[in-house]
Amino acid sequence: MRDNWIEPLVGAVVLLGAGVFLTYLLVAGDAQPAQDGYRLTARFGQVGGLREGDDVRVAGVKVGRVERIALQPDTYLAVAELEVAPQTRLPLDSTARVTSDGLLGGAHVAIEPGADTAMLKAGGEIENTQGAVDLFGLIGQFINKPATAGEPAT
Amino acid sequence: MQQVVLAPFTLIGRLVIGVCAIVGALSLFVGRTVFACFTPRWHGGQIVRQAVSIGFLSLPVVGLTAVFTGAALALNIYTGGGRFNAEQIVPQIVALGITRELAPVLVALMLSGRVATTIAAEIGAMRATEQIDAMRTLSTDPFRFLVAPRVLAGVATLPLLTGVADIVGIGGGWLVSTLSLGFNPETYARSTVSFLEAWDVQSGLIKAAVFGFIVTAMGAFHGYRATGGARGVGHAATQAMVWSGVLIFATDFLLTSWFTRT
Amino acid sequence: MSEAAPELEWRGVRKVLGGRAVLDGLDLSLATGRSLVIIGGSGQGKSVTLKLALGLMRPDAGSVLFGGRPLPGLFNRRQSALYRQSGVLFQGSALFDSLRIWEVVAFRLLHADNRPRARARDAAVEALAQVQLGPEVADLFPSELSGGMQKRVGLARAIVGAPRILFFDEPTTGLDPVTAASISRLIADQVTRLGCTAVTITHDLVSARTIADDIALLDGGRIAWQGGRADLDATTDPRVRSMVEASLPPR
Repeated sequence: MRDNWIEPLVGAVVLLGAGVFLTYLLVAGDAQPAQDGYRLTARFGQVGGLREGDDVRVAGVKVGRVERIALQPDTYLAVAELEVAPQTRLPLDSTARVTSDGLLGGAHVAIEPGADTAMLKAGGEIENTQGAVDLFGLIGQFINKPATAGEPAT
Repeated sequence: MQQVVLAPFTLIGRLVIGVCAIVGALSLFVGRTVFACFTPRWHGGQIVRQAVSIGFLSLPVVGLTAVFTGAALALNIYTGGGRFNAEQIVPQIVALGITRELAPVLVALMLSGRVATTIAAEIGAMRATEQIDAMRTLSTDPFRFLVAPRVLAGVATLPLLTGVADIVGIGGGWLVSTLSLGFNPETYARSTVSFLEAWDVQSGLIKAAVFGFIVTAMGAFHGYRATGGARGVGHAATQAMVWSGVLIFATDFLLTSWFTRT
Repeated sequence: MSEAAPELEWRGVRKVLGGRAVLDGLDLSLATGRSLVIIGGSGQGKSVTLKLALGLMRPDAGSVLFGGRPLPGLFNRRQSALYRQSGVLFQGSALFDSLRIWEVVAFRLLHADNRPRARARDAAVEALAQVQLGPEVADLFPSELSGGMQKRVGLARAIVGAPRILFFDEPTTGLDPVTAASISRLIADQVTRLGCTAVTITHDLVSARTIADDIALLDGGRIAWQGGRADLDATTDPRVRSMVEASLPPR
């Protein structure tokens, strides 16, 4: 056709770059292969903005991710299945807490290790949990009803 | 005196008639184009040729547009997010903004500059030099040989280009975030992948296909209507770009409001 | 074919363009195998007459008959069948500038008749030889040829399918006198060789004398004068006379 080969060449480079970055995204974005870790469950009264795929952290360091969130029909508790990296051994009396980095987003499960010498096993449950704090609810209460005494403490 | 009184009405009347005429002509044109796209015969060679010229040769401009847009978007979201301690939301919003909105719209706009004008000029020049008439007398329907291959190629390649722009745009955001905003490259990638839903990408690609039709059909429509030699061809190219640009934004709004309806 | 059915006939044709009746009651017919040249000044409706015969325009009144039947109109299958029997040389040649010369010449064979490329190319090269162009031009693009050569390529494209009827739209416009004469010669030769009916519109009387069996003068939207080639110099019709005199070399 035409002897202008620069355009096709640049086009090929763009395509190549996109292909490489896509591969990187998919590989790096899925860096924690699910089968490596072990499963724990935790039941929360309120998960707030927590979504499947969010981080599980200990002392702010990511050690796993939230695999599944479902409602337990009889207790109305949210059951979260956590995938935790195998080298992270957690004491039986650890506490799982739903928290977030900022006002918007960044929700994750923070685990505070306990003092027990026995460790949680795969499939075990973290008994001590603290659900998400409804920040806006709190603020709302504070602003609207400063004098209401009958309101139960949260 | 009577003329002065009637002047505004004459003007409005002329305007309305003009709009009706062009809408009518456009509907007729689109109808014939769609008919030519879906019924034999198809000129395969032309479709491939146009797909290369519309799709592959647009990659450089699409790539550049996307990488800079992604980078600028990341910077803006970082600053904006900083106002309420939500800087870490950059990857998610960049991914969402690029896939749902910016990649399809920007690709379509760049192509209305690159492709719609070219099509309008090509077909306009062919009209002016009687090549379209010549084609008819050679038993070949110009709608099948000229218009349909361009429109089909546009509808097929714009989603592909948008897919590339999605990746490159997110790449632009990733680059600037990791190089100058202190994001961890892998965390950024992970946030993007785990946040994006299939529909974010799919809706963008659907938009792109519709824009592909708009861009190519507008180019062909204005080229086909071109009259009056070189000046007419220039006018057709300008009109093609303006019309496709405006229609892209309008359609984008309509499609977005339809897609985001809950 | 009976005497009653001329190859091509304009019957009471009227066409209004931009509020002006360009053609008004045009009656003209042409017998099989004859070469008719329509002459006339610019703006007298010559192009419109041709476009109507090609079915690229529709008359506002009256009809154009091809082989005794009215033209079916552009989007009709029968029209495209009619086009298979005709060849057209356009004023500006109207070659497809993104295609190679042989693809231009073989356009109908390639895109309407589904002829294999190698055979279409052979046919194109043969047609090019008929218009005295060598096979070396086959792979060039139209923009690489001179105006006279482009005209020849246009002629090759018109004759490639051995048509029944040929149309020539101002075949010598924009060419120098020598090239114009050779194009006229070629046209006359090809029409004779193919034995087909031909319609030419032109304002070039030199060319008209070379090509024509019959000549018709179009003036005021209708045929003002009609006669054989030899009658051109004999007639006393003032409109013909003024055209003839204008075409003579100045002394």
